[in-house]
Amino acid sequence: MSIQLSAEHLSFYYTDENGNRTSGDVLKDISLEIEKGSFVAVLGHNGSGKSTLARVFNGILVPTSGKVFANGLYTSDDENIYEIRRHVGMVFQNPDNQIVATIVEDDIAFGPENLGLPSEEIRDRVDEALNAVDMYDYRFHAPSQLSGGQKQRVAIAGIIAMRPDCIILDEPTAMLDPKGRSEVMKTIHMLREIYGITVLLITHYMDEAVEADRVIVIDDGKVIIDNSPENVFTKPELLQAVGLDVPQSTELLWRLKNLGVPVSVNAINEETCVDTLMKLLVK
Amino acid sequence: MLKDITIGQYFPGNSFLHRLDPRFKIVMTLMYIVMLFMGNEIYSLIFGMVYCATAFFLSKLPIKLFGKNIKPLLPILLMTAILDIIFIREGTVYFQLGIFKLTEDGVFTAVRMIVRIIFLIIGSSLLTYTTSPIQLTDAIERLLSPLKKLHFPVHSFAMMMTIALRFIPTLMDETDKIIAAQKARGAGFDSPKLKDKAKALVPVLIPLFVSSFRRAEELATAMECRCYRGDVGRTKMKIMKAGMNDIISFIFTLIMLCAAITVVVLF
Repeated sequence: MSIQLSAEHLSFYYTDENGNRTSGDVLKDISLEIEKGSFVAVLGHNGSGKSTLARVFNGILVPTSGKVFANGLYTSDDENIYEIRRHVGMVFQNPDNQIVATIVEDDIAFGPENLGLPSEEIRDRVDEALNAVDMYDYRFHAPSQLSGGQKQRVAIAGIIAMRPDCIILDEPTAMLDPKGRSEVMKTIHMLREIYGITVLLITHYMDEAVEADRVIVIDDGKVIIDNSPENVFTKPELLQAVGLDVPQSTELLWRLKNLGVPVSVNAINEETCVDTLMKLLVK
Repeated sequence: MLKDITIGQYFPGNSFLHRLDPRFKIVMTLMYIVMLFMGNEIYSLIFGMVYCATAFFLSKLPIKLFGKNIKPLLPILLMTAILDIIFIREGTVYFQLGIFKLTEDGVFTAVRMIVRIIFLIIGSSLLTYTTSPIQLTDAIERLLSPLKKLHFPVHSFAMMMTIALRFIPTLMDETDKIIAAQKARGAGFDSPKLKDKAKALVPVLIPLFVSSFRRAEELATAMECRCYRGDVGRTKMKIMKAGMNDIISFIFTLIMLCAAITVVVLF
């Protein structure tokens, strides 16, 4: 498989406009590769550096040492920035602060318009993106008439319309209610199915990270766990050491096990948890 | 609390007026205003009134909408009318009481003023009601595009207007929230004194400013991430193309304007 995003000995600290250092190392010597078409979740508590990592990958921030490549392009080279952003889309936490236009379909057209595409093609892409996020019926609405989850789906559609290879979502559900969260997660899964886009999901919700193919846990600017969700969430001691919770279903099984119930603790989502418990009860 | 503003609002639809090219609509609105303000005789108003009625008929909008816009202006209208009637003392006297004289000219001026202002509001509302804000800013951008040669930042100007329009409802919501939060902390917004009212605004405006700067920064980052580079290499999804309807409407407007000028000059 080819590599979508990669970091080599990446370190980062913030500076003011005169280049003076204003923070400690936010990211410390991170090396990782993200494969094309994969769904990777980055977990970490507040201030762990996970959002900074997201911003480094599409060139909003440039590493203070080490190298970052997006689609094989070196992000520290200013000439590559436009090309990188064409291929690596980014969705932010607050849906209100990333919608530019006063009408949903005009906002989705914003990205493709910036790419200088012919108008018929923009029209096609906008309609397709609207359908992909299931917002076609709302195409003439004003953003202020939409719920948080709907706004975030519009923001995702705005990125999809640019046809990127990869989409980075920086805590896209942090400001949403549970209904909005599940809408957005459903949309992310659909994108993977339809377009095979690489997804890098920054989150602090365990239940969302469980749905990924690979989980990277960041603490204090360092990668401390990088494994499949099954391997990560079945080891609650590791997660609790860095101040993260385990998914509720895993926690339930662990508590049962600690009470002496003979149960396997490999379940990480509701379904497998129910299966495990059923087996136990039917016995 | 601030949601009742209808001026500048857009009502989606598919009428003849909705479908006209926004560039033409802006130019025709300007021509209509000239028509309305030409000449001093009552009959010179007729062209503007007929034109406005035609446009209204073609917009298929309910007349109630326009009443809502005019209502808040009624006190001002009445005030100007009363002042006109009191201070214009020329012409045939209808009625006299002490130094107060009700004259023909006074009444005419007052009526003309009221009719003009009401029709001005209806006409310009017709433009904003039938044209989405983004179409309007696009049209303004295109109409002003010759100024690009003089290094006037036409595109940035239009983008600023779009973003301002986009964030008005967001900031209104936020203002409501801040007011509620400050009330919960015991801030008094109910004092009738003007001085207290002004003071109470400070703890509302400061958080609003701070958050606006934060929003601006986030929006700028998000726009850059979507490959925004000003108008460099930018295309548009909706291309404005003047059709037969636009040309016919424009010629009609031109004829009305010429007729109005002729009547004013000749009579």
